[in-house]
Amino acid sequence: MSELERELFEKQLLTIAKGLDYPRTPDIAGSVMTRLRASTRPRFITRKLAWSLTIILILFSSLMLIPPARAAIIEFIQIGIVRIFPRPTEPPIDAIQTATPESIVPTTATPSLPSATLIPSLSRIAGKTTLADAQQKVNYSILLPAYPPDLGQPDYVFLQDAEGAMTILVWLDPRQPDRVLMSLHFIPAGSWAIDKSEPAVIEETNVNGQRAIWAVGPYPLRLSNGDLDFTRLIDGNVLIWADGNITYRLETNQPLEEAIKITESLKSIP
Amino acid sequence: MDESALIRHAANGDASAWEPLVLAHQQAVFRLAYLLLGDPDDAEDTAQETFLRAWNHLKRFDQTRPLRPWLLSIAANLARNRRRSAGRYLAALTRAFRNEPIPATVEEKSAQYMEANDLWKAVQSLSMSDQQIVYLRYFLDLSVAETAEVLQVVEGTVKSRLSRALEKLRVIIKQEFPVFAERREGHES
Repeated sequence: MSELERELFEKQLLTIAKGLDYPRTPDIAGSVMTRLRASTRPRFITRKLAWSLTIILILFSSLMLIPPARAAIIEFIQIGIVRIFPRPTEPPIDAIQTATPESIVPTTATPSLPSATLIPSLSRIAGKTTLADAQQKVNYSILLPAYPPDLGQPDYVFLQDAEGAMTILVWLDPRQPDRVLMSLHFIPAGSWAIDKSEPAVIEETNVNGQRAIWAVGPYPLRLSNGDLDFTRLIDGNVLIWADGNITYRLETNQPLEEAIKITESLKSIP
Repeated sequence: MDESALIRHAANGDASAWEPLVLAHQQAVFRLAYLLLGDPDDAEDTAQETFLRAWNHLKRFDQTRPLRPWLLSIAANLARNRRRSAGRYLAALTRAFRNEPIPATVEEKSAQYMEANDLWKAVQSLSMSDQQIVYLRYFLDLSVAETAEVLQVVEGTVKSRLSRALEKLRVIIKQEFPVFAERREGHES
């Protein structure tokens, strides 16, 4: 490209790029300031404040010794690396009327706008690979469901390497190929921590004799590891179980009975 | 109060001085994150994180320098991390399970939008570092000096990297976006 051609090309780029239709810029300042105000603490603790904190800590420790209060503070269901915080058993009436799952999502969790189809979103995610490649790179067996019989191989395989290789298999709906039929996640211990808050339904069940949890959305799901921390609103049905060091998540729109059939049909890649 | 005075106050813990700075730069930060991630939710989260991280590290920021390149640099790093993350995948799945409507077809958009969108798609075929430099220079309309600040390189490096990226972009447009290339040549003639 000659200097002149390059200059012309640059001018065109500048003009054309100006026409890009960006989404409206959200109120980032408002969200940031809310988060800052919530987290801002005095930098220096005065002697008086230190005493107050000590008293609060003592009170809190005492509270921990009283069984019902302790249960209220720390009760959650742990399965593999997933912790599920159920709704309080007897919430106050006001709380039932006002505390929808959306209202407890922290400001970082922004409900998705109807602005993107799935396939472009999936195609831009890093870590896309093949089954064979994923199996070669992880030190656990990637399992595939034999049920339903016509399911076939996953349409997408992702290997998310963030302090432990999480494998994600995705099957698309053959009738609506821009929609996900189900996804299966293999999460090794020591990589991510996953917290779910107050799913609409939590049910204990079994997968091949192993304890499993069935959670129905919507509920906020928090993923965190050393560097990253996300909160997202999950709207599907999820079956979670653990076997050894691996936690499995099956996300689907199918009912529990179907989900169990799928998970109980899992077999190693031939 | 000018930007450097606001930064000084904010660095001393005055959150009210940070707010006008966020307002002044939120659009550029959000747009860069959107260009790199292609998803408004991810871009919003990334933009929020950018301003929170910047706030936490303001003491270390050289207050004689302009703020925007530093913010864009943080946003670009966070966006790169996010592209590798599982949170992004879950967001895509969430949308899929909600069965959200497909957006308006390209035909329904204006010709200008189509052209800009084709250009964006073509840029997405470049490597991440080439994408970043093209977005900064042509989509966010940063000067070469500002682009150099964001990338923490000298201006000469920006020019040579841009030159290489443009060569690649031209080939991609010719091979994969022939209609766009024809339209472009039409404008030239």
